[in-house]
Amino acid sequence: MWRKPAEAKTSSQPAEIAVPPVAKKTAETPPVTENASSTPVRSAAATAGSASSATLPSSETSPTAPAPSLAQAVTPVPVSQPGARGISRITSGIRIKGDISGNDDLYIDGQAEGAFHFPEAKVAVGPNGKVKANIEAREIVIEGTVNGDLKASAGVQLGASSRVQGSLITPRIAIDDGARLRGKVEMTRANGGASTVATTAIVATAATATSGTPKAIAKASGE
Amino acid sequence: MNWTAKTRIASTTTPTPAKPGNGSANAAPAAANANFRVSNGLKEFLLHLEDVRNPRILDLGQVSQATLNFFIEKGYRVTTEDLLRSWKEFLTAEEEGLRLAPVGNGGQKISQVYLAEKFIDTGLRYTEESFHGALGWDLLDYFDSELLPRVMERLYSLLLPSGVVLAMFHSKSAERFHRYRIVDTQTIEVLPAATLAVHAHVFQNREILDLFGKFRSSKTFVGRDQLREALFLK
Repeated sequence: MWRKPAEAKTSSQPAEIAVPPVAKKTAETPPVTENASSTPVRSAAATAGSASSATLPSSETSPTAPAPSLAQAVTPVPVSQPGARGISRITSGIRIKGDISGNDDLYIDGQAEGAFHFPEAKVAVGPNGKVKANIEAREIVIEGTVNGDLKASAGVQLGASSRVQGSLITPRIAIDDGARLRGKVEMTRANGGASTVATTAIVATAATATSGTPKAIAKASGE
Repeated sequence: MNWTAKTRIASTTTPTPAKPGNGSANAAPAAANANFRVSNGLKEFLLHLEDVRNPRILDLGQVSQATLNFFIEKGYRVTTEDLLRSWKEFLTAEEEGLRLAPVGNGGQKISQVYLAEKFIDTGLRYTEESFHGALGWDLLDYFDSELLPRVMERLYSLLLPSGVVLAMFHSKSAERFHRYRIVDTQTIEVLPAATLAVHAHVFQNREILDLFGKFRSSKTFVGRDQLREALFLK
């Protein structure tokens, strides 16, 4: 059986920040050095959920079956390929402090302080996440606690267990029942640029779906 | 709008069996859904802000997708703060601190006045005269006698001249806790919610006027559902 070890999927460049690559389950991630400097976060290894995982099914391990040719073997998608996006994780029990930026998605389920700049990626704060930082990202999903301003170019989603204190600047927002928000909400145009009041909040979760005006519904259908 | 200084204009609104007002595309049949409530107070609130460019409002209730959608679509800038929940969490934290503090430590005096003043120092911290309107919902029914005037004082300072506050008052002790969200320009959805606080006080009309004594004019609507809506103009 051809099996690609998870550790083999390393980026072409070493991690420049002390956020360890997630080679296995997140519980096994070594601790992160605090006071990380402002350097890009590289996704050094794929996680179990990553699209680049490359494990062949066990059915192909029959000793009598002809060895698969290289052409038949599943080739893992290198992290550096266009379209491939890894996920960096700050798991619970980890604290990180500093300005962090990157092009890959970031999942925070630990404690983080500083500033996060992921203009082309998604930043998610898990239910155990406690973040004291301004977050700027393409998409922001909050399930934990955030004390800071959120600025998204695509949209912000506040889950039922989220607690946010800070302003929101986003073209779209989705708020689940139970979400806590203390701050200003400012909607921007989807194309970014100067913040202006205009576009409607589009996404309505199942829990909060209510009747809306025809204008709002029409805009939602066009999204 | 016919505002009368310090004069109540009480009108009985028949909650036309919860039929949502104009602009509601997916309104549930009125009679079938008793959770919808016609709100003349909301209608007046919006009319008052109709000519304001880029109005800014402060929503003191629980953040709601529907309410947020409603205002943002109209071009409002919304600031939201779940004031009642903040107050309850503050009290819980203070009580926990007291419980863990050594007995007789520091001789610190704890009183409702102290707690109210401390909470106001941390809550509603916005620039003065920065809002055109505020939605108080029925929160004022749940604050104690020390916190309430301080909240009103702070609220008054946050409003711009001619700013307007919409508040609701129960005519009898509320049987259960509710949250509210806006459906359209004159319809509010009343949602039963997990009890966050116990109804503290049933205000008489005179008490409401005294509570908003610094405001220059008021308007009150009385509904058959024992919920009074009051608008106050700074």
